[in-house]
Amino acid sequence: MRTGAAAGHTGYFHAAVQYASDDELLAVTLPFLLGGVAAGEPTFVAFGERTAGLVRSALPRDSGVQFLTGGAVYARPAGAIRAYRKLLAEQVAAGAGQIRIIGELPVAAFGNTWDWWARYESAINHAYDDFPLWSMCAYDSRITPEPVLADVARTHPRFALPGGAHAGSPAYLDPRDYLSESRPPAPDPLQAGPPTVELADPTPGEARQAVHAADRGQLPASDVDDLVVAVSETVTNAMRYGGRPVCLRVWSGADRIVVTVTDRGAGPQDPFAGLLPARDQATGGRGLWITHQSCNHVAACGDDEGWTIRMIAGNTEAG
Amino acid sequence: MASSGQTGGHAPPPHDHVCLDYAGPAAFEAAAYDFLAAGRAAGEQVWLVAGWSPRDWDFEPVVVPVSDHYPEGAAIEPAAGVAAYARATERAIAEGYTGLRVAADATPLVRTPVQLDAFARYEIQVDRYMRDHPFTAMCGYDRARLPDGTVEQLACLHPVSGAPFRLIAAPPGRGDAALAGEVDETTRPLFLQALRRAELRPAGGELVLDAGELGFIDHNTLLHLDAHARELGATAVLRTRLSAAARLASLLELTALRVEQMA
Repeated sequence: MRTGAAAGHTGYFHAAVQYASDDELLAVTLPFLLGGVAAGEPTFVAFGERTAGLVRSALPRDSGVQFLTGGAVYARPAGAIRAYRKLLAEQVAAGAGQIRIIGELPVAAFGNTWDWWARYESAINHAYDDFPLWSMCAYDSRITPEPVLADVARTHPRFALPGGAHAGSPAYLDPRDYLSESRPPAPDPLQAGPPTVELADPTPGEARQAVHAADRGQLPASDVDDLVVAVSETVTNAMRYGGRPVCLRVWSGADRIVVTVTDRGAGPQDPFAGLLPARDQATGGRGLWITHQSCNHVAACGDDEGWTIRMIAGNTEAG
Repeated sequence: MASSGQTGGHAPPPHDHVCLDYAGPAAFEAAAYDFLAAGRAAGEQVWLVAGWSPRDWDFEPVVVPVSDHYPEGAAIEPAAGVAAYARATERAIAEGYTGLRVAADATPLVRTPVQLDAFARYEIQVDRYMRDHPFTAMCGYDRARLPDGTVEQLACLHPVSGAPFRLIAAPPGRGDAALAGEVDETTRPLFLQALRRAELRPAGGELVLDAGELGFIDHNTLLHLDAHARELGATAVLRTRLSAAARLASLLELTALRVEQMA
């Protein structure tokens, strides 16, 4: 039994909240949360420190609302989907008829890595649709760049308004269409120069060695190990599913390592590849999903050379 | 050629069980000389198991024709093969030697798929014997005289070899087997074949792999290890220094594989 605006809805009821003041945020958030608690629905907040504090102080004591640590939840999109799906499955198993969540991405997500968070916002329309979830994604229009707000409108079916009303988003696109668009990542400045290492048709082992060779101690060892996993998986997929020649390029910077793998293929057919583990394991989808959880940024797009996946360990905000 | 020169640098404290992947008789003879000379200097009885006798060596090994010790032309019976060397080792000790060291050209023993499968199983069993007995061996395989892929199936069963990974006997008390080197898409079929041939039978429900010298393992191999352990009704335990392996196992939510992080 679902309550509130999502009553009668099947699956995921996904809304954006665009606010320009704290009062506007609270005007949407508080009725949403208190309505959930009153209906006996598991009700969560995944905000950053400031806005979580704002909401907490506006709620009655022992309100029953549960607070998740927003920063930890929103470290990487594929990890966020995995963590939320686990949370949702647990709540449904415990008998929840609806789960309510309001979340907010950290401002850091609006920089060079926004493209994969935009993909996240689109993909979750599908990824959470097998749960009775009503969620709101809050965006502070005072600090959110205009191109990000444009993507918000294209990835959320509706906007939540003060007073409990909702307005459809005319720009909304089905995730399969949105995710099929070409979305080249913001170029990393290192890529303007020659790569530290360039290999044609490397074996996965040679690719791993190239990453180790680029490690000059500028990153924690575990970050390098994770990048090695990502690059090994990507080269393996390129060999199996892409077309030769496969080209590996590695740039070693002062605070990051940037790696691209280009093959002659057309890229994965599954628009959710990378963000969700592939159901069909014979497509390399699980390797791409692991890659998305092993780097600070992963982006892929077609170009003149074929299909290129770029992975970054370390600082993603250079340039 | 010194036997220690065969290692890829990842082998556990070596019990000298060397795979010599060679081309041409002269390469085997040179390596056999070095290997046996080191043993002789250490007071071991040294055997040359080959189809020829050495000339111009400055010592005389015990020359054993291949067919005297192995069923040339047939498949070896692994346990019988190990027992024969165990008896020979005990005899050498009884005669006052510090141990037995053998350089064997095993090329004629692995020519057919049936011979190869049996000999690979034998290599695994004799490696376990070598791990804690004063018996060492260098097994030579002439790549030029064997079908493609044969030497690769054998090299990975030797602690001292140029193989990309090694599945070998674990040091006493450290698990059911040791896994060193790197396992990925390109070497996984060999690894899974070696794992099946090793016939590891977990005690107490746990199949423990001492993987302290493991340099890489990919997620698909972890999935296969998980499935292998489940088939045995056991939990595989991978003891490794690789933080990524523990993270992958957690991501994949494996239930029959536990990764234990070593310091």
